[in-house]
Amino acid sequence: MKDNSNSYKIFKIINIILMLFVVGIMLLPYLHVVAKAFNDSRDSMLGGISVIPRMPTLDNFKLIFRNSQLFQSIKVTLTVVVFATLYELFVQFLAAYSLRRKDLLGKKIILLFLMIPMFLKGGLIPTYMLYSKIGLLNNILVYLLPAAFSFYHMIIIRTYMDSTISISLEESARIDGANDWTILTRIVLPLCKPILATITLWLAVARWNDWTTTLYYVTDRKLFTLQYILMQLVKESEILSKMMESAVHTGANTAQLEKMSSITPDSLIAAQIVITTLPIILIYPFLQKYFVKGVMVGAVKE
Amino acid sequence: MKTSQNTHVLKPNHKNMWKQLKRDKLLYLLLAPAVISVLFFQYLPLPGLLIAFKEYDIFLGFNSPWVGLANIYNIFNLPMFQKAIFNTIKVSVLSLSICFPAPIIFALLLNELKNGLFKRTVQTISYLPHFLSWISVVGMVYSFYSKYGLANDILISIFGPNTTRELFLTKQALFIPNIIVLDVWKSLGWSSIIYLAALSSVDLSLYEAAYIDGAGKFKQMLHVTLPSIAPTIIIMLLFRLSSIFQSNFELIYGLQNSFIDYEVISTIVYKYGITRGEYSMATAFGFMEGAVSLILVIIVNKISKKVMQTSIL
Repeated sequence: MKDNSNSYKIFKIINIILMLFVVGIMLLPYLHVVAKAFNDSRDSMLGGISVIPRMPTLDNFKLIFRNSQLFQSIKVTLTVVVFATLYELFVQFLAAYSLRRKDLLGKKIILLFLMIPMFLKGGLIPTYMLYSKIGLLNNILVYLLPAAFSFYHMIIIRTYMDSTISISLEESARIDGANDWTILTRIVLPLCKPILATITLWLAVARWNDWTTTLYYVTDRKLFTLQYILMQLVKESEILSKMMESAVHTGANTAQLEKMSSITPDSLIAAQIVITTLPIILIYPFLQKYFVKGVMVGAVKE
Repeated sequence: MKTSQNTHVLKPNHKNMWKQLKRDKLLYLLLAPAVISVLFFQYLPLPGLLIAFKEYDIFLGFNSPWVGLANIYNIFNLPMFQKAIFNTIKVSVLSLSICFPAPIIFALLLNELKNGLFKRTVQTISYLPHFLSWISVVGMVYSFYSKYGLANDILISIFGPNTTRELFLTKQALFIPNIIVLDVWKSLGWSSIIYLAALSSVDLSLYEAAYIDGAGKFKQMLHVTLPSIAPTIIIMLLFRLSSIFQSNFELIYGLQNSFIDYEVISTIVYKYGITRGEYSMATAFGFMEGAVSLILVIIVNKISKKVMQTSIL
């Protein structure tokens, strides 16, 4: 199968260059933001920063951490991530196990019941009205309760169970007198650790990155998540650039506005981005294979 | 599974029904959280859809007057809504035409890398954008395209120090290209996983046979690789087609600013529903999006049954 024609050799070299280019594009924006975060804020505004800070400083971070709201949002986000992930994992794992039983009475109906909401959705407004009626607005539970069940995740867990835990294993346990609960906790749970690790990571990342829940259902500042604060900062800078643009067009003095833009300069936003993405970046290299494995399991089902 | 040897399986008949229920009572208990949660949070909002057919008044609540299809009619006639629908489809189709082939090509190219370490490194880095939230990405984009950001710096280094610094994010014409570029950037690596899995399961002897028949690398790809992963490609394509009517709220809302006038279905629903309290219209709009999406899924599923003899459901 060796093909060493010249055109293939050239192709291989171009391929490597292309891959390096892709890697660069993936990393560049992020490295740029990190550089800005660690760079003096007024110096950043002069431009010319690429991926290395020119005037390294921790001032941006110091400034951000002086804001008590940051700590509150970190608290909220951590609470949400931990509890929501555990709860969702619990619900989905139990459902996956029960839906393994081939002759479960009413299984088809239950599956249909659980699957239909994937296609028939109430939408934003009806959901908003429901939450309003049951007091879920501006309530920490709005992050934790609603999104408990995911049909897709349940299928992945179940597929994994089916392919790693043979029926005969369960059968022999049953003959030895074990009931469903014992089998679940003593046999199935330990064997499912890999896929549960994957689902846990997916759930945790999804919760960490979620900001639309806050946008839709929360107006109380004490319940803002880290991502939502970031969104506010990012959108706020838009107002400033609008003022800049109109000043430029009317020929007005922009120096005053340039000074104002030190209110939330790029470098502070950059620092916020670093803080908000740090956990993901840190755990990602080590747990990457778990993330990917779940996709494979899902792919097999297809 | 040999049912005759499986002492635990019961044949479905009337006598056994009670036996089954008794035997499985723990399982039903285990299912309860999922079922209750889904019932409460997914099914319970559904009656709210009726608001779409009423003229909602805050004081009258569910007793608001019934207007039938008037709201839906308005949707298709008000320019703002028409534009949003048009924009949604436009972005979806453009995005599809670029974001769909890109991971496939990427997977094919990755597959040609001989050095395992390099290949794995590239893969790992390419998945990274997938794990960043859209808002972090928007934040990076603002930084990148800002007046004194990297994009302008690169322009200056190419075209000389006298080029004016552009305010990229204020240009309407760049909005859609920007969305597509970001979509590719974020999804390229992660979407390629499925294709890489498919590529690794292609029978190597097929390549041997093609080589013996005189096919070079490129011909091998055309006649062996692509046909082998065609089922995967088609399934993924059908998935994407069924969500044409949906829009990426997080990205578009994040990128919207006062210079750009660009709305899609999801942003209108949010703006008019939650921030302006026009519940009827927003619900009607959202309902229409859901209904059309559902129809698309059904159509796509029927097509996949015919074409592939498999269904995605």
